[in-house]
Amino acid sequence: MARSHLKDVQEEAKLDLTPMIDCVFLLIIFFLCIEFKALEAKLPAYLPKDKGSQNDPAQPQEQLSIRIEVDQPGTKIPRKPLAPEVDKKGRKRTFALTGHTVKWDVGPTRFTDIERMRKELERIKSDPNSIVPDASKPGQTKLLPIVIEPQQGATYGDVASTVDVVKAVGFEEINFGGGRGPAPKR
Amino acid sequence: MSSIIDDMASQEVPLDMTPMIDCVFLLMIFFVLVIDLSQKDLEDLILPKAVYVVADDEPPSVRPIINIGQDGRMVYRGNTRFDPEIHAESTAPEHLRNLLVEWKNTIVKNKSDLKIGSRTVTLVEDPVLIRADKWTEWHWVGVFMTSCSQPEAAFYKLELALSDQDKEAKLLRKQGR
Repeated sequence: MARSHLKDVQEEAKLDLTPMIDCVFLLIIFFLCIEFKALEAKLPAYLPKDKGSQNDPAQPQEQLSIRIEVDQPGTKIPRKPLAPEVDKKGRKRTFALTGHTVKWDVGPTRFTDIERMRKELERIKSDPNSIVPDASKPGQTKLLPIVIEPQQGATYGDVASTVDVVKAVGFEEINFGGGRGPAPKR
Repeated sequence: MSSIIDDMASQEVPLDMTPMIDCVFLLMIFFVLVIDLSQKDLEDLILPKAVYVVADDEPPSVRPIINIGQDGRMVYRGNTRFDPEIHAESTAPEHLRNLLVEWKNTIVKNKSDLKIGSRTVTLVEDPVLIRADKWTEWHWVGVFMTSCSQPEAAFYKLELALSDQDKEAKLLRKQGR
């Protein structure tokens, strides 16, 4: 009798691990796949509307120029050092740059630190002289438009971080200028 | 004897459906997350990190997306539309104009006419999202922008994509750099 009761207790103590393993698999799959869904942000910007459409010289417009110049081009390092030089499609693997620095010329003033540039832009924005007539809406005014001029060697990251700061300060109209320069060496 | 067989046949065989349902759920979650059709426009690029701008939670319904790699390759929906390793850079406006005119005729919905001098240009009011690698030289973005501003295309609203996280920093940290 006692032996039979002991057997019953042993059977009851059996733990079914299936649901726990299921949950673990669910979590593994979730965390593997979540990487694909990284949130992205956007920065609005504008191109001139009338480029290539007319031969007449454009009307001069008051705007603030931000010139992005490469200070140190930086050194290329592979993002995946253990992987082969080329990927499965035969293309060179992507690289990262270390020591890449830029400087910003906001009008006549040069900055090497993006935070200082941000403060200068805040000062300019609060200046009453930064309110200019709106050429597209006669009789109305607007905040000074910004024209960003990336120079040779500037990267998408340099420009995007500059636009990020300009938008954060509150400038709405952002245009791009400057030449493209020669194609980068491969 | 026959009574025993009848008894056995009349007994309900308990079928545990739980593992099958679990497997079905696992498969559903896997396919929902991996085969996400909304991601087909997005190439695997490492975007620069956004410091101030907020996440684009509600993207517009109409927005063509161009992906620009470090080597200047421009990819739309998985198809390379301009590749500096194959095409001469001088032919970029031609290749990209075809793409932009295709967008203008098929995808975009909002257009407006603008009289410039003696001619009327149909401007596209829907934005184009540019996604480029953090270290893509701006030169290649400039090549695309130049094509956008041609009168046949006339896309003038652009958006630059950023990421809410610095994937490159994470990758390099993993490598101990």
